Amino acid sequence: MTTDEGIVYDRSLLGVETDIGTFELTREMLLGFAKSTGETNPRYVGDENGEGDIVAPSTICNVFVSGVSRPDIKLEFGEISFFAGQSIECKAEIRPGDVLSASTKLDNVYAKTGRSGKMVFAVWETHFKNQDDTTVALVTESFVRRNKSR
Amino acid sequence: MSKNLYFEDVDIGDEIGPITRSVSDDDVIQFVSIREKKVAPSRFTSKEFANSEGLPEAIVPGPMNIALMSQVLTDWSETVCLLKIDVVFRQTVPHNKELTFSGIVTDKDETGESTKIECDVVMENSDGVKLVIGTGIIALPNKS
Repeated sequence: MTTDEGIVYDRSLLGVETDIGTFELTREMLLGFAKSTGETNPRYVGDENGEGDIVAPSTICNVFVSGVSRPDIKLEFGEISFFAGQSIECKAEIRPGDVLSASTKLDNVYAKTGRSGKMVFAVWETHFKNQDDTTVALVTESFVRRNKSR
Repeated sequence: MSKNLYFEDVDIGDEIGPITRSVSDDDVIQFVSIREKKVAPSRFTSKEFANSEGLPEAIVPGPMNIALMSQVLTDWSETVCLLKIDVVFRQTVPHNKELTFSGIVTDKDETGESTKIECDVVMENSDGVKLVIGTGIIALPNKS
């Protein structure tokens, strides 16, 4: 059973879109992302010399949602937070030179009790568009906050 | 990697992978540095920082894990088009430990309206403990 009853946070933020910035994707960034994740698919890394047309895996959008400053929801619970889950819908190809703009909103906050006790989840949705106003990715992230293990 | 996998070639229950690899400290620093010009100590890059947060060791960032999970699907064939991936982080993922990624086909659009295929994907440690689980939706081309 999940509920948001009794969770103290700033409910005025629910559903409010906030711009989190624009991100220019260089070829170097795309290749760095591919290298760090051990990618070998020529679609993402080019030919054996790293040349040729490439696209970015849509999961590169995660790099830009990670660590962005979002509005503080003033959640009054827990001592430690973790990334609990994420989904990405890939809507269009992302290429070197694309400039992505992103906006995010708080979609949901709910509590759940597991083996380690009560946890509170905050779910954010982030929408990425390219310079042509085409949606390239929708990212949904879930963060959990809980108390430290004793 | 299969070069030419088509929708007609795939059946429910087909296995994807496995891929075995580890994520080094340098891999994580390179990943983090795509966004941060100067990489600050964090639970992802510093054991000491991770310890201060109650973690036994530095961990792989969640966004990096989802990138690794999606590769199970995109490395299956050059013809795979990833439409969606949804993951749940069940446990933290350590650096420098063997990780196995695999998938299985769970559903296939037989209506003729699309060439979408659904798959379960999982990341396990060397003890077979599931660290990250998820589902993916991909599309493959038709032969015709």
